[in-house]
Amino acid sequence: MTNRPLSLTVNGKVRPLDGVPESERLLDTIRWRLGLRGTKEGCRSGECGACTVLVDGVSTLSCLTLSHEVDGSSLTTIEGMADDPVGHEVEEAFARAGALQCGYCTPGFVIALVGLLNERGRSASVDELLADLGGNLCRCTGYLSIARAVALLQKEGR
Amino acid sequence: MPSFSLVTPTTVEAAIAELRTGAPGEVAVLAGGTDLVFDLDRAGPNLRRVLSLRCLPWRTLDWNGPVLTVGSTLPLRSLEEDPDVARRHPGLFQAIRAVGGVPLRHRATLGGNLGRAAPASDLLPVLLVLDAEVDVVGPSGSRSVSVDQFLLGSRRTTLARGELIRSVRFPEPRPSAYLWQRVRPANDISQVAVAAAFSPSDRHWRLAVGGIPPRAVRLPEAERALSSPDPTREELGSAAEHATHHLSIAADRRASEEYRRHLVGVLLERAVRSASARSLEAGRLDP
Repeated sequence: MTNRPLSLTVNGKVRPLDGVPESERLLDTIRWRLGLRGTKEGCRSGECGACTVLVDGVSTLSCLTLSHEVDGSSLTTIEGMADDPVGHEVEEAFARAGALQCGYCTPGFVIALVGLLNERGRSASVDELLADLGGNLCRCTGYLSIARAVALLQKEGR
Repeated sequence: MPSFSLVTPTTVEAAIAELRTGAPGEVAVLAGGTDLVFDLDRAGPNLRRVLSLRCLPWRTLDWNGPVLTVGSTLPLRSLEEDPDVARRHPGLFQAIRAVGGVPLRHRATLGGNLGRAAPASDLLPVLLVLDAEVDVVGPSGSRSVSVDQFLLGSRRTTLARGELIRSVRFPEPRPSAYLWQRVRPANDISQVAVAAAFSPSDRHWRLAVGGIPPRAVRLPEAERALSSPDPTREELGSAAEHATHHLSIAADRRASEEYRRHLVGVLLERAVRSASARSLEAGRLDP
């Protein structure tokens, strides 16, 4: 099988990649070729949201996406959130609300929430945001503190 | 994951030609990939190519008077965000919101749902009650087929070799509703789902049930029990009874036969009531 070169802009930096199999999933490219281990592998079947990343600003499940399908796109992972004004605020809100226990689901939650705020704008209601975070699973049963983080963010952000 | 090459044609003709090359079963069609990519791990050794539709001009949404035409590769999230879809096809909007979570809907498509024909698809029941038509292109031109005829069974459709789904057409806005029961609200699969719609043009109800293998089906006996846009309690009870008694219901790891039978009746009554309320509301808005 021929493997075409792949070019992704990852957290603002152009990253040309060679030798990526056309059958490879974006999750594996991010974790094992780009070495960005903040993006987590949970279920690998689109049920948990742990692998969520932004592709051209839009939240996407990297476990169900072939890397070559997003060739030429701009990718943002949890490692890029510190440089993103909204991402930084979301992280701060999670930290202050203690919205994590083991932390495995946190990158997915943060990215999904940033994606929603990009789409809906900062005036989105807390209920609307929480409903649309339904695709992210937390197995430490930390949903209450995550809901508090969203409430905190929306109260202070507006 | 087995090794395969990813082919990304930029014209419909090239895509059709690509599908006709090689042995049958050698190529799989990729729209959003949310169902297919999961299955690629278990693909047999015959799979050699995956044909991506991402460069075809099918990410469209068009209203032509009452007729809504949705391109087969439009992400469901774009359909969900169209205010006219939510207003004129409330049941379709509810069904879309029942698919996965937001990140999944950013890639999942209507074409993929139809082409993959998953028995538990949340979109197929509502497509049935809206009398959606599937526009297919292939080596011998274009054809249109109703969703009911398009679906043959679990993972089986009438798509012939070399054919692709171009778009899905919804002939008229209908007061409609889609209700489901499942363990988790998001990123889960419905144990039972019921779609109901009232057609203002022929004044008849359409009812369909999904979530039960092998495929979503219409409920003609139950439909006949409903005589007006605002059915009486007796009519509703009779429709629910027809549905629960005439339907062949399979058990699987998601739900027992008994529980499903119970759910069909409960969800049917609620879905018709909800669509009926929308019908009366629409009547007041557009006399």
